Amino acid sequence: MLEVNALAVAYGDVQVLWDVTLRVERGEIVTLLGANGAGKTTLLRAVSRTVPVRGGTIVLGGERIERAPSARVVELGIAHVPEGRRLWPDMSVEDNLLLGSYPRRARSDVRGSLDYVFGLFPRVAERRAQIAGTLSGGEQQMVAIARGLMSKPSLLMLDEPSLGLAPIIVAELFETIRRINDAGTTVLLVEQNVRQALEIATRGYVVETGRVVSSGTRAELLASDEIKKAYLGL
Amino acid sequence: MARNGAFAAIAIAALVAVPFVAPHAEYALDVLFLIFLYGAMATAWNLVGGFAGQVSFGHAAFLGIGAYATAIMTQNGISLWISVPVSALLAGAYSLVIGIPAFRLRGPYFSIATIGIGEATRLIARNWSSLTGGVSGLTLSSAPPLLLQYFAALALLVAAVGLAAWIRASRFGYALAAVRQDTDAAETLGVATTVAKTQALFLSACILGVAGSVYALHYLFVSPDSVFGFSTSIALVIMPIIGGLGTVTGPLIGAVIYTFIREQLAATLANVDLLAFGVLLIAIVVFEPRGILGIADRIRRMRKPPAVTVPDG
Repeated sequence: MLEVNALAVAYGDVQVLWDVTLRVERGEIVTLLGANGAGKTTLLRAVSRTVPVRGGTIVLGGERIERAPSARVVELGIAHVPEGRRLWPDMSVEDNLLLGSYPRRARSDVRGSLDYVFGLFPRVAERRAQIAGTLSGGEQQMVAIARGLMSKPSLLMLDEPSLGLAPIIVAELFETIRRINDAGTTVLLVEQNVRQALEIATRGYVVETGRVVSSGTRAELLASDEIKKAYLGL
Repeated sequence: MARNGAFAAIAIAALVAVPFVAPHAEYALDVLFLIFLYGAMATAWNLVGGFAGQVSFGHAAFLGIGAYATAIMTQNGISLWISVPVSALLAGAYSLVIGIPAFRLRGPYFSIATIGIGEATRLIARNWSSLTGGVSGLTLSSAPPLLLQYFAALALLVAAVGLAAWIRASRFGYALAAVRQDTDAAETLGVATTVAKTQALFLSACILGVAGSVYALHYLFVSPDSVFGFSTSIALVIMPIIGGLGTVTGPLIGAVIYTFIREQLAATLANVDLLAFGVLLIAIVVFEPRGILGIADRIRRMRKPPAVTVPDG
């Protein structure tokens, strides 16, 4: 459903991505692995059209989107849950979620979306009246993902959802990501916690200094000596 | 909401009645007129600076364009039915010309750009003498009756506050709140942030354009340093901050306080009003950044402890 071909992105004179090619098929969980500064976040931002694209193409469900405005990309079914959660801190949890249904496409069934995300995250339902900035880190991450789901995406892009969370919360969060995927949402996951990411992923790409250096199915990546050495510490 | 509506209706009815109850209290009517005018201007500024969080120090440009447009058209015998709407649209059009490039900048950079835009506009008005009369400005010969001015300013205020209340509760208002609190998050969730900011600026500029018309017809004199002056832009920032930034009624409360301080203090001692605004602004930023409405909210909370307590954990 998503095809990225020969993508190049630069911030001013500093080139961050060179010739990145990858695909995400419907129903998959695809993970991007790689060290800090490899360009994983930039790749997601290029797809959600929040950084300008220097070269290459991005195709979503047959439509070229590398020049589209970001609002159009959301209308086409991509939800980007940015790194660091980025909630609107002075709004209630519920207002954050309702604003997640801002795209035209999502507005007909706000009630149904709310029920769905409250089912996934009972904790968020309990906190719906609370001001978002006062939640704990784990709760904020849940709200951020729930807010992304409120736009009824076909592709959910998660950027470092485990960042700064306690291990037990991380395990719970990944279980929920798996359930979201089971319910029919394709997931593109950027994660530094490689072990957790590979546990739920169907496939993965390894990004190093702005290039895709290897890729494979979950089993292939887990069996790769390089991955074991570089990311799993085995 | 229904209670606010009822309160607003009573307030409007009372203000409409004032000139009939006290037709000879010209000074009081004049002060009320100024409150309406400043209230409408502060409310308009607040759509951009408060709701969308884009603090502009150049809003006098829109007031000035409205004032000059009306003055020039009136001198050429054009009816107010035409000149006032055209003034609004000219100010709106100008907002698009400057908003589209300026909104490529964010936060303090946007604010700095608006200072430049405001000053540049003033200098254009000073130097384009064939159109604007240069530094000596333009003079009009006859003012509409005070009563008409009073009702025009009241109508403008009601329209501006009504628009603000409607926007705040609308999808558009939530988009602006999202822009204010986290522009990047708003962008990734499908809010066309630049479009939303530009729309807010356009509406704001149109209201200020009409305010400029009312200003010109009241004072019968417009000059670059009066309507385009930096102090006007600053006044537009001060009023919403005093009352409560990003609220519906805050700018109006700020306008009441601003007008009283100006009328009372400026008459007794020159420039002492500026000192008062400085002290007030510092006090508010330090002690209660939510302004007078924030203080009111604190008093309410002290008197009535919250009914629902949030459980720990």
